[in-house]
Amino acid sequence: MTTFDSKYDMYPAGDVGVIEGEMNIPGRGVPSGDNMEFNTLDEPIKETFSRDLKAVGNKFYHVLIPREKTSLLKEWDLWGPLLLCTFMATILQGSSEPTSNTGDGGPEFAEVFVLVWIGAAVVTLNSKLLGGNMSFFQSVCVLGYCLLPVALALVICRIILFSTQNTFLFFLRFVISMVGFMWATFAATKFLGDSQPEGKKGLAVYPICLFYFILSWLVLSHTA
Amino acid sequence: MSNVNTGELLNFQDYSPEHNRSARIDVEAVHTNQYNNANTSYDYVEPKPVVDDEEPIPKTGNHNFWTIEYYQKYFDVHTNEVVERIVSSVLPQKVSRNYFDERIKGKPDLYGPIWISVTLIFTIAVSGNIASYLQNANKTIHWKYDFHLVSYASTAIFCYVWLVPLALWAALKWTTNPDNQDQMETQTSTSPTMMSLFCLYGYSLSIYIPVAILWTIQVSWLQWLLVLLGAFVSGAVLIFWLLPALRKSKYFLILVGCILAFHFLLAAGFMLYFFHVPETEPSAEIVVTTLKP
Repeated sequence: MTTFDSKYDMYPAGDVGVIEGEMNIPGRGVPSGDNMEFNTLDEPIKETFSRDLKAVGNKFYHVLIPREKTSLLKEWDLWGPLLLCTFMATILQGSSEPTSNTGDGGPEFAEVFVLVWIGAAVVTLNSKLLGGNMSFFQSVCVLGYCLLPVALALVICRIILFSTQNTFLFFLRFVISMVGFMWATFAATKFLGDSQPEGKKGLAVYPICLFYFILSWLVLSHTA
Repeated sequence: MSNVNTGELLNFQDYSPEHNRSARIDVEAVHTNQYNNANTSYDYVEPKPVVDDEEPIPKTGNHNFWTIEYYQKYFDVHTNEVVERIVSSVLPQKVSRNYFDERIKGKPDLYGPIWISVTLIFTIAVSGNIASYLQNANKTIHWKYDFHLVSYASTAIFCYVWLVPLALWAALKWTTNPDNQDQMETQTSTSPTMMSLFCLYGYSLSIYIPVAILWTIQVSWLQWLLVLLGAFVSGAVLIFWLLPALRKSKYFLILVGCILAFHFLLAAGFMLYFFHVPETEPSAEIVVTTLKP
């Protein structure tokens, strides 16, 4: 009987070595040292907003120029992905009644929205299943922030669409959306590639490519 | 003996966190030893370690059914393995003859089937749109793309990838004829598991991805040729790998016919629904009627 007791006593002590990770509050940023964190209670709401926006903008900057590998991974937040996803879904939604001939046969708002979030979740789940050592929301955060090049390509394509279309402009839109696709894939691979064990990197990168390729296809097909 | 062990156990409490992992393994080893030793005196706990050692219930295994770790064994493949499996689903002569028995049946993966299906869905949606654009290229009507091809294609493909292997698995399970006892033994060892059938069927769809891209070329006889080629090649490879199991069935010919027919139906359905010109010049009709008998 003593063995049973001691066994159950041992487990909490034994599990201490397994628990890892940091407990960060997203959006708080690096504590500046002299300020105590209680100051967030009585600071003006403008400061809170500007600090969070600064964190989001900083992440966008790192996506556009993916040099540091770990800059996006320190603290995840989902504000940037939410902004990008809502923006893309608003622009991409088709103005169609399914039976009529007018309008384009584009996706609904909710379809783009679900495609982005479910797609990011499935890609993340895939890398978890392959044995990646990254937390779920960190990966979703990186995938969402890396939508930025695709969203920029969407803006440029939207501007091009205001003029009369011809073959050259279609080709231009094709090139722009492909550049957005490659940029997004490159950035996401740079941030997420190291979390995979050796020999499985290709398997983890392929779904990321597919994810951004599908969204770039939506960008290119958007003609309304 | 027990005094010494409890002394060791008490000491482990003081270990630093980085030592705790190895310490726990040691503790577990000590425990299992003690547990097994104790079994001789306590009769009623005897069956328990037997259940723990071998795993008769596949649902529990080492990990819980609802955890990610449970499914990680189906994704435990490397890049070159996946490439090798895709090659084996198109060109079986490139790999060894009992590749299916040795590799796929022993270690079925779900990575390939899932991502090949997803790729095929979006390839069909994208090239279906390109095909409809090409069909309307010389007409004056305003062409519009159809995002909802994605949902039709995904319904068709996921039904095919999950339901057909399930049916085939059931058919193989209940129509095999046991001739005598040792035949029975070999049969249970060679009959494929459900997971390996899912794996095999998922990989067999990989040939349709290049075929779907080629289907955008709006030439009727070429499209039908690709249907026949794709269905025949991947169906033949399926039957090639499954032949030892199929031979044991009572309805060998029916099963082979069904596998080939479903494969052909899938390919023909894709081509007709997503890529074919709806109302066209009579040459397409002629090709259809000549191919049907």
